Amino acid sequence: MGSSSAFLGMEIALRGLYASQRGMVTVSHNVDNTNTPGYSRQVINQKAARPMLVAGRAGMLGMGSEVVSVDRMRDTYLDEKYWSEAQYYGEWSVKSTIIIELEAIFNEPSESGFSTIISDFYSSLQQLSTDPTSLATRNAVKEKGIAVAKYFNSVAAHFDQLQEDLNNMVYAKVEEINSIADQIRTLNLQIYNYEVMGNTANDLRDQRSYLVDRLSQLINCSAYEVETGLTLPNGTPEKRFVVVISGKTLVDHQNVVHLKCVTREEKLNNEDLNNLYEVVWEDGNTLDVKSGELKGYLDMRDGNDGIAAANGQGYTPNCKGIPYYQRKLNEFVQVFARTFNEGIIDSDGDGKLDKVNGHADGYRLSSSETDEPSGVRFFTMLDDEGNYMSSDDFINYIKQKAQMAGIEDDPDTDYDEQLVYGYSLLTAKNFCISAEINADPVENISASSVPGQQGNNENLASLLDMRHNTYMFMEGSGEDFIKTLISSMGVDGQQYSVYYDIQEGIMKQLDNRRQSISGVSLNEEMVNLIKYRQVYAAAARMIQTYAEVLDIMINRLGL
Amino acid sequence: MRITNNMLINNVMLHLSNNLTRTLKYQNQLASGKKISVPSDDPIVASKALKLRTDVAEIKQYQKNTDDATSWMEITEATMNQINEVVQRFREITVQAANGTNTTEDMQKICFEAKELKSQLIQLANTTYAGRYLFSGYKTDKPLLDEDGNFNINISNNEEIRFEIGIGDDINVNVPGSDLFNRGTDGEKGEKCSFVQTFDTIISAIESGDNEKVSSLLSDLDAEMDNLLRVRAGLGARMNRVELTDNRLDDDYVNFTKLMSQNEDVDIAETIMNLYNEMSVYQASLATSSKVIQQSLVDYLS
Repeated sequence: MGSSSAFLGMEIALRGLYASQRGMVTVSHNVDNTNTPGYSRQVINQKAARPMLVAGRAGMLGMGSEVVSVDRMRDTYLDEKYWSEAQYYGEWSVKSTIIIELEAIFNEPSESGFSTIISDFYSSLQQLSTDPTSLATRNAVKEKGIAVAKYFNSVAAHFDQLQEDLNNMVYAKVEEINSIADQIRTLNLQIYNYEVMGNTANDLRDQRSYLVDRLSQLINCSAYEVETGLTLPNGTPEKRFVVVISGKTLVDHQNVVHLKCVTREEKLNNEDLNNLYEVVWEDGNTLDVKSGELKGYLDMRDGNDGIAAANGQGYTPNCKGIPYYQRKLNEFVQVFARTFNEGIIDSDGDGKLDKVNGHADGYRLSSSETDEPSGVRFFTMLDDEGNYMSSDDFINYIKQKAQMAGIEDDPDTDYDEQLVYGYSLLTAKNFCISAEINADPVENISASSVPGQQGNNENLASLLDMRHNTYMFMEGSGEDFIKTLISSMGVDGQQYSVYYDIQEGIMKQLDNRRQSISGVSLNEEMVNLIKYRQVYAAAARMIQTYAEVLDIMINRLGL
Repeated sequence: MRITNNMLINNVMLHLSNNLTRTLKYQNQLASGKKISVPSDDPIVASKALKLRTDVAEIKQYQKNTDDATSWMEITEATMNQINEVVQRFREITVQAANGTNTTEDMQKICFEAKELKSQLIQLANTTYAGRYLFSGYKTDKPLLDEDGNFNINISNNEEIRFEIGIGDDINVNVPGSDLFNRGTDGEKGEKCSFVQTFDTIISAIESGDNEKVSSLLSDLDAEMDNLLRVRAGLGARMNRVELTDNRLDDDYVNFTKLMSQNEDVDIAETIMNLYNEMSVYQASLATSSKVIQQSLVDYLS
């Protein structure tokens, strides 16, 4: 062994000190970040140092140990799996929450929901039929009629409010997506700059993956690194990080194309509020949102069971969202009011409308024998100022609209087609009792089928009959219609929450698998700490030994 | 599999939260007494609940209607009973008048009482119930007869006031005046009703002292009495039906409220058991979790 070997041994021992120090620093970093979301544990990549070829002798001389890199423990397969499942998790978490709000708006089953209110209305009519002259009961019928109308007004107003809220959420989610895209872009540049010299930007990469975790809940997206074909100065191929939504890149290394909310010029559904947002790419391309929280909000805001869109462009989302329930409620009030007011209903189940006695065909309380039918419509619509329309104004208005739409009365039927068309202008929002019923229910409720007969309740009997007419709707009678609507909403709600639970289970399981690989285990870190500390102590001991060797060599040998 | 600290913590959180969700569900059920609070809790129960609520509300209304029908019919029956007494008395004095042994003074007294009875009959024909004329058909706001016993209104046997006492089941609660006072034929306004006409003819025969004629008119009076009996029998039959319906509605009400309760009310004992079960599971998971996540090798290093 040459004379330099004592110093060489000390150098090797020093390397041991450095390596175990590096190990302890990494333990410390891991322990600190045990609870940092998105953090993946780091391990030192320790190797035997490049050995020295000793001249004139066979073999190589070991040169101790060195840390060539600090690696992050991460399985990209699990990341990709997580990102592809997170979109459904996001979508169902939104839908299962919103449908609970819808259920709350309907407020069933309860003592103040639709079934109670409509039962009360019919009970008051029944009560009136046992004493058509009672002033108190006539007033009660008016009040119960108002309660029915107000129920629909209130439900429709709540739906509008909710649609507005969802629209704002769409805007907020688009902002969040853009902000995440910008953050990813910044990280891309930082990571690139660090790594161009051959380092690995572990912590920055963790942060970037964590952003993609969040982004993938918001919208369907995939993220991956692509090789550009160039080579970095350290010899490794240059990679760039890309985030793609429905086939179009959101982030391409340092380039970002934002999403943008533009207000719709034409409504997607007739029932919609004005100026809802359409989400598009900033560069003008259309965006296809397939899943994620954004899809959840869009579906619940726009969903109309997949019917053709009102603006003639494609179809509405195949989901029962707010427009669907608005449409169903509108359908109910249209048929209900038409039947009740005019007696135009399919009375025998042949699929064609018939004419029976409606409210307008009855006679006023104090009618004399020569009087015409009252012509009073029990229900009309609110005018532009929000006042109850009178029957005449209402009929003139809807007939005028029918004429404008080119509807003519067919003389072969015993009802007026213009009226049938006109009732389609009623909505749950503008549904109300008529000005006449409101002003003087005692006189105007038309209970009698013959003029001048105060005790005659036959017109009421005709109105009461309609309650159980099962040909009123495809779903059956009016109450069946609403019951079907509410219970199918219940079924949807149950399904959404089942989907959500399943997806949540998948996410938890994936997250556990990721944690299993990337998570910090304190036990393990402690064991490593002991390991490195002992090596450190041993290496220090080596240095001390070499010092003694040198002491002997320098001070005791020689002269 | 490598188990890390955050996996332990995540799992503990997941299970604790699942436990709490179930505990909350039972606690909600006990607090509200209902199995469901929104339709999605159980759509089948919800749709049944809606149906049963409507059924119960309808039964309640039909019960009210049968009560109203019963009162109307009882009043009518009581009035017809009084009419019967009037006619019986009228017949007694008519028989008396038919007897040839009466003095002029007696005949005058009889005639006087007969006129009294006639106006009593007219009064009874105009009986009201809660402000409505019982025998005026649909024109409940107008008296049936004027003071002479002429029809004050047009009246037809078709003017049957019907109350609904079940789905598609209604009952005629009134007796149109034409049926009772005009032997079942429709009456024109201004025309004298046959009942009063019979009284009038007998009274004028008594006035003229023609006891043979009085005697011969007794059969007319009997015909009116037969008619009265017929109408009373008809009303009695309908009252029976209302009573039966009322009993059935009472049963229905009990049955349907029971069904409603079975459908949506919680089984308290079972739910309390479930709640206790969940709570003990919750406590067990708290106890084990606190032990597992507290300790690591750190605690044993010195």
